[in-house]
Amino acid sequence: MCTESLIERLSRDLRPVRPRSILREAALLLLLGVVEVAAFLSMGFMRPDMPAAMEAPSFWWKLTSLGLIAVLGAGVAILSIDPVRSPRRGLRRILGCIAAIFASGWIIDAAQGGLENLLIRLNWTQGLQCVWKMVALSIPPAIALGLVIRHGAPTDRGGTALAAGLSSAAWGAFVFVFACPSDDPLYIAVWYTVGCTIVTVVGRAILLRLSRW
Amino acid sequence: MAPMVNPKAGDAPGGNRDRMMAAAQAGDADVYRALLAELAPWLRRYYLRRLPPAMTEDAVQDVLLAVHEKRHTYDPTRPFGPWLAAIARYKWIDRLRSLKSEPTEPLDENIGVPDHEEAVVTGSTFHQLLAELKAPQAEAIRLVKLEGYSVEEASSATGQSISLIKVNIHRGLMRLASIIRKAGDVH
Repeated sequence: MCTESLIERLSRDLRPVRPRSILREAALLLLLGVVEVAAFLSMGFMRPDMPAAMEAPSFWWKLTSLGLIAVLGAGVAILSIDPVRSPRRGLRRILGCIAAIFASGWIIDAAQGGLENLLIRLNWTQGLQCVWKMVALSIPPAIALGLVIRHGAPTDRGGTALAAGLSSAAWGAFVFVFACPSDDPLYIAVWYTVGCTIVTVVGRAILLRLSRW
Repeated sequence: MAPMVNPKAGDAPGGNRDRMMAAAQAGDADVYRALLAELAPWLRRYYLRRLPPAMTEDAVQDVLLAVHEKRHTYDPTRPFGPWLAAIARYKWIDRLRSLKSEPTEPLDENIGVPDHEEAVVTGSTFHQLLAELKAPQAEAIRLVKLEGYSVEEASSATGQSISLIKVNIHRGLMRLASIIRKAGDVH
């Protein structure tokens, strides 16, 4: 087909479109987050000792850390599906944020004393259950972010897919915090990292394919 | 996050493309037709400097289709030029990547066309980019992807093994895409 014919065909089939709105997309993702937390808790998954857990600094450490990564990742993903914006600077900030989270977790852990009984603290059977639940909870945000990315026009697809994968992983982990029975920073650092890494790597690979345009 | 393209890129003298694109988003087909007709020559010039000539028209059409499919991502409060330039650049990198997987058909020795490609390619941005690669990579890409030699012929001509020719093409094109991504727009 010659270029002139293509122009003719494209303009003949023209339909009005609504320019994308970052605020609308962010609001929809926020709504999904609220719905997912509400649905998860209403299914009876909330840990029974929640009032006591809320007294522990490590509970707030994991909740705010994961929420921050989820919000930052989703923000970077949404902004970077604009062709003129790159996700790289935002991704660097997320990585800095993750490093700060690990450092603060180490301080909390040091305050609780020693690394004795390492295997007991890691509790691998419970840890693997945590991992699969985190992965399952990250699927809805990954699908939602995939739809947002499909709708947009990211020009750094690898970076955008990575930001969305990170956000989905942290999002799933954030929701799981309400059910997670452990507040041990070592346990959280190990098993949350495993779960988030799986979701980030697999999510990036899938979202990278979805983002092609 | 900072814009990653030159804000002047894509602008034409006397163009009021911001308003034309906004009108196109609202469904004005005549304005849209005029806008696309204005963009085509600019895109043609853009790709003539950046791609082998045989790929230029496909790339132009690819961008026009992308503009059409992604027109809702244009923000009418911002200039149209950088938005278009970002899409053109993205499609340029995409084209370079696709060279890796495209089968290369050796040209018929009796094909009767004037030999002007070398002159065009020599002055192009694409050729300047090839100079950024290691010599064996640039040589493999030039022979197989630009001049139409088979991998076997390129192997004989350069002394590189067939596997090495393939590896050098793959790595060279990956490197080119990486250079373009890091450098921003190239003029």
